[in-house]
Amino acid sequence: MSTLEFAQSRVLTIGIELELQIIDRRDCDLTRGAEELIRLLERSGHPGDVKPEITDSMIEISTGIHERYDTALQELRGIRDALVVGADKLNLLVAGGGAHPFQQWAERRIYDKARFRQLSQLYGYLAKQFTIFGQHVHIGCSEGDSAMYLLHAMSRYVPHFIALAASSPFHQGIDTAFDSSRLNSVFAFPLAGRAPVVDRWETFVAYFDKMRAARIVESMKDFYWDIRPKPEFGTIEIRVFDTPLTVDKAAVLAGYAQTLARYLLIERPVTVSEDMYLPYTYNRFQACRFGFNGLMIDPLTHEHLVIGDDIVATCAQLAVHADELDAAPALQQVAAWAAARANDAHWARQRYADSQSLGDLMWQQSLLWSGRP
Amino acid sequence: MDAAEFSFLPGWPLPLGPIAWVAVLLLAALLAGEALQRWVGLSRVLGYLAVGAVLGPSALGLVDAGAIGHLRVVADIAIGLLLFELGQRADFGWLRRNPVLLVKSVAEALLTFGAVFAVMSLVGLRPIAAAAAGVLAVATSPAMVMTMIKDLRAQGQVTERLTLLTALNTAYAVVGMALVMGALHLDREQPALAPMVLQPLYLIAGSALLAAALAHGTLYLFGLFGRRPAFQFAITVGIVLIAVALASALKLSVPLTLLALGVISRVFDRERHFVPLRFGESAMLFVVLLFALAGASLQFSGWLDALPLALGFVLARFVGKLAPVMLLAQPSHLGPRKAWLLALALTPMSALALLMLGDLTRASPQLAAEIGASLYLAIAILAFAGALAVEYALRRAGEAAEDSR
Repeated sequence: MSTLEFAQSRVLTIGIELELQIIDRRDCDLTRGAEELIRLLERSGHPGDVKPEITDSMIEISTGIHERYDTALQELRGIRDALVVGADKLNLLVAGGGAHPFQQWAERRIYDKARFRQLSQLYGYLAKQFTIFGQHVHIGCSEGDSAMYLLHAMSRYVPHFIALAASSPFHQGIDTAFDSSRLNSVFAFPLAGRAPVVDRWETFVAYFDKMRAARIVESMKDFYWDIRPKPEFGTIEIRVFDTPLTVDKAAVLAGYAQTLARYLLIERPVTVSEDMYLPYTYNRFQACRFGFNGLMIDPLTHEHLVIGDDIVATCAQLAVHADELDAAPALQQVAAWAAARANDAHWARQRYADSQSLGDLMWQQSLLWSGRP
Repeated sequence: MDAAEFSFLPGWPLPLGPIAWVAVLLLAALLAGEALQRWVGLSRVLGYLAVGAVLGPSALGLVDAGAIGHLRVVADIAIGLLLFELGQRADFGWLRRNPVLLVKSVAEALLTFGAVFAVMSLVGLRPIAAAAAGVLAVATSPAMVMTMIKDLRAQGQVTERLTLLTALNTAYAVVGMALVMGALHLDREQPALAPMVLQPLYLIAGSALLAAALAHGTLYLFGLFGRRPAFQFAITVGIVLIAVALASALKLSVPLTLLALGVISRVFDRERHFVPLRFGESAMLFVVLLFALAGASLQFSGWLDALPLALGFVLARFVGKLAPVMLLAQPSHLGPRKAWLLALALTPMSALALLMLGDLTRASPQLAAEIGASLYLAIAILAFAGALAVEYALRRAGEAAEDSR
């Protein structure tokens, strides 16, 4: 009765999805425009894929399947350019960033589509509060068992991903003190968190079937896990990244995740067990709150590490795998960001300190995203 | 008993000053608007207009022409605030990024003028009268559009385009009316050539220069004192009042000056000193009075005779706005359904048209006698129908806030 067939995909291929903000040029608040923007792009025959999201101030772009992070970057740049030209025609701005700094969630409108209306009915105000923007990275796996292994082995690096991508320091008009406030909004959902500790695809399918039989979920989409399998694509999907402020950063982060995946799948450095998750929520909080300066506890050694330092060390450790994937430049970049403790949240706080205006911050953010000088 | 002993009592009838009548008009309009909205589900604006019309000289006459004259300054301030905000909201840079919009706007203005001019000429009006009617027809009520957009907290493509086209239409109509006023100098026993050129030139260039000077002054102040919203709000109201006062004193165009002030203060605000304006509740008093006064200024005398021509005006104007908006929908990246709603939302006429018609009447009573009755009736129709049309359009486009009412 299960339909969870794990599709075959080329191992270690990547695909990137980015949720983006649609901004009003006048006050730099979120505005409606997803419908027209998508229609305009469809008519002009843009590259990549463009889809609506839960509220009509959001839009999601996604790449095809890539072997290398730099070809994914080329595709992302193409989509971004088409998007910027389209937004110009509609007098809109598009921007990255994990959350809009001062939008009022109550002002948002649910995008007119059956699934989104259902979600809104079910989750009430949580649905509108879900106007937050993430990057999802898909990594191809040859079969279900190795996907489950990769999913759990990758959990150690979730704090890295959070700290590197954090770009939502402001929320509803205030500085949250978090580098990524976005993930706090995800936590409100009953099916957020992490996948159950099973290392066989078969076992996972049995779990899913039980959940469905109990009518807790209908499909994989109902799980809001940090990393979840995507059997239709034959991938695991890492969902903890805030959308970065540039497509370049998005591609580099995907390159880092891809390199980690190669290391984990080839060297198999851990065995999957419940113990891996002992420090998980602590680490996750530290990364959200303090970014690179957060402390993470190694799940195996229980050693306390500064997240930024651990990223630098990990990059050095991954050099061989990065060379194989032509991802060395990406890893250099990642190590440099971590060493300098410079993520997008840091950038946003600096801009705000200069201008004292969250509207102005949003303007700068959309300029940065457009890739225009 | 000596009458002087009771001089502490008031005389009869009570010697009520103009303040009392303003209060009566304001309260009656507010209550009618609230009642209409709560129990009939129609826009409050219709209530304000209706109360004005009923209390005004055309009906009960409680608010007479003298009182309206006294209140002209309130109307000027109200429309000044709204036009300034319209100028700030309308993004003229968009015309550069989507040039089809400029084509659409110009075509819409020209076709509207042409259609109305043709209808008026067909019934035998002189060209100058037909031209005056055509120019008035170009205007889309900035007061109605701004009030509705703010009431409904509307947001989206129809709203954005409506804002931009309304700002442009206001500019075209004011400039066009200046040219008509200039041409009136030829419409005399001794035609005067110099004033024909100089009057519109003075009006247009003068208004623009005044606006530019005030805009730069405002931006300088904001650059100095920062972005605190309450401060900016107070300064902005002050600057708008100065602009209204100076434009009137210099015999410039109040609407053009205020619109230009809004536009210029946005265009030159490269460092984005301006925080978004929220006139909100405090401006509501002005808006209520503006529409009540517009209602009171409506004239219905001889409406039966004027009706055919008024309907001709309304129809020609609608076609003139509809055709280009529909034809250029696709190239400007708007779907046909939303284009139709946009055309509908461009229909209202109200306070600005009445002000311009009032100015025209003072400049040439003879011309006003030719077209006045049918134009007043047409404006009355387009004020009431226009309010309904804008609300309908913005709601159907899905751009009104969900809880707006």
